[in-house]
Amino acid sequence: MHTLIVIDQPPYGSWGGRESLDMAFSLAAFDQPVSLLFIDAGVLWLKRGQDPDGINQKSVERNLAAASIFGVEALLADTAACRRFGLTDDNLIGGVTRIERTGATLDQYQHVVFSG
Amino acid sequence: MHTLHIVSKPPGHTRFRECLGMAGEQDAILLTGNAVTALADSTITLPETVYALQEDLRARALEARQDSSNPITFDDMVLLTIQAQRVISW
Amino acid sequence: MPADKHTFTLVITGAPYSSQAPETALGFAHAVVGAGHAIDRVFLYGEGVHLASALTSPPSDETNWTRAWSDFLQEHSVPAVACIASALRRGLVNESEQKRYQLPSSNLAAPFEIAGLGEWVESTVQSSRVIYFHGGA
Repeated sequence: MHTLIVIDQPPYGSWGGRESLDMAFSLAAFDQPVSLLFIDAGVLWLKRGQDPDGINQKSVERNLAAASIFGVEALLADTAACRRFGLTDDNLIGGVTRIERTGATLDQYQHVVFSG
Repeated sequence: MHTLHIVSKPPGHTRFRECLGMAGEQDAILLTGNAVTALADSTITLPETVYALQEDLRARALEARQDSSNPITFDDMVLLTIQAQRVISW
Repeated sequence: MPADKHTFTLVITGAPYSSQAPETALGFAHAVVGAGHAIDRVFLYGEGVHLASALTSPPSDETNWTRAWSDFLQEHSVPAVACIASALRRGLVNESEQKRYQLPSSNLAAPFEIAGLGEWVESTVQSSRVIYFHGGA
């Protein structure tokens, strides 16, 4: 049961993305294969240097850096969205795989899930 | 049918555009809730196999387009989810 | 009873009144059992946990979605779970969480239970179809 959890909303404006992450980590904790895909403005989750102290939130950057340790198989990012939001090797967090044909990637997973 | 894509978000939402962009030729799209308004939106081109929940169309006084959409019941929706190899809700 | 009986997991992530998710999901749920299939459980996640509030009090000429769902779940003996993390954040609390956090009251409607995402994982592994009902915004 391969699952792809998709995040398309930017971080910090709502809890939807965190709830997507919780889904991914739960699947991994139960030894279910899972990857995370970031598309659209969701790629901003992957930008280095996030500092949400001023808006009284915890950084998601650290959670994502820990994703593979917790068993999430891959952090995937849509290449076009990365380009659109100015994300390059210089400002992306580590461990991200950029993908060109995102539609084809979706086909590889039995379950494709949004948290809301 | 390979994948059934269920969309509940209206055409203005990025999720709607994402779904349309990623749906394949063998796939079907089912519009529910405010997503059915896409059928009344002359600026939107929908793929061939588009279904829409009958009651959501009726609520909004919208008609299914003759050429592309099929107003369906919840019973039909259950059948579609079973016939599809997988279901993605956008 | 259909030739191939399926088991469904229904996940609701949209709240009543801010979305149609509970309504669409209930129509689907009725059709699922009507066709002879089973529902393993209903899982409320994110904003969907609001469906489990016992304090919902719409005007008498509007559908009380919590009651409509409670009636369905009880009539068909379908388990329903609100995700604990989503629920606590949004103030949906059962008696044991009320005690644990020393809150002024509890408000979880029967027959909803509170549990973790493990229930969602387990259900999705067991079911042949997992259908998500998201909000429209």
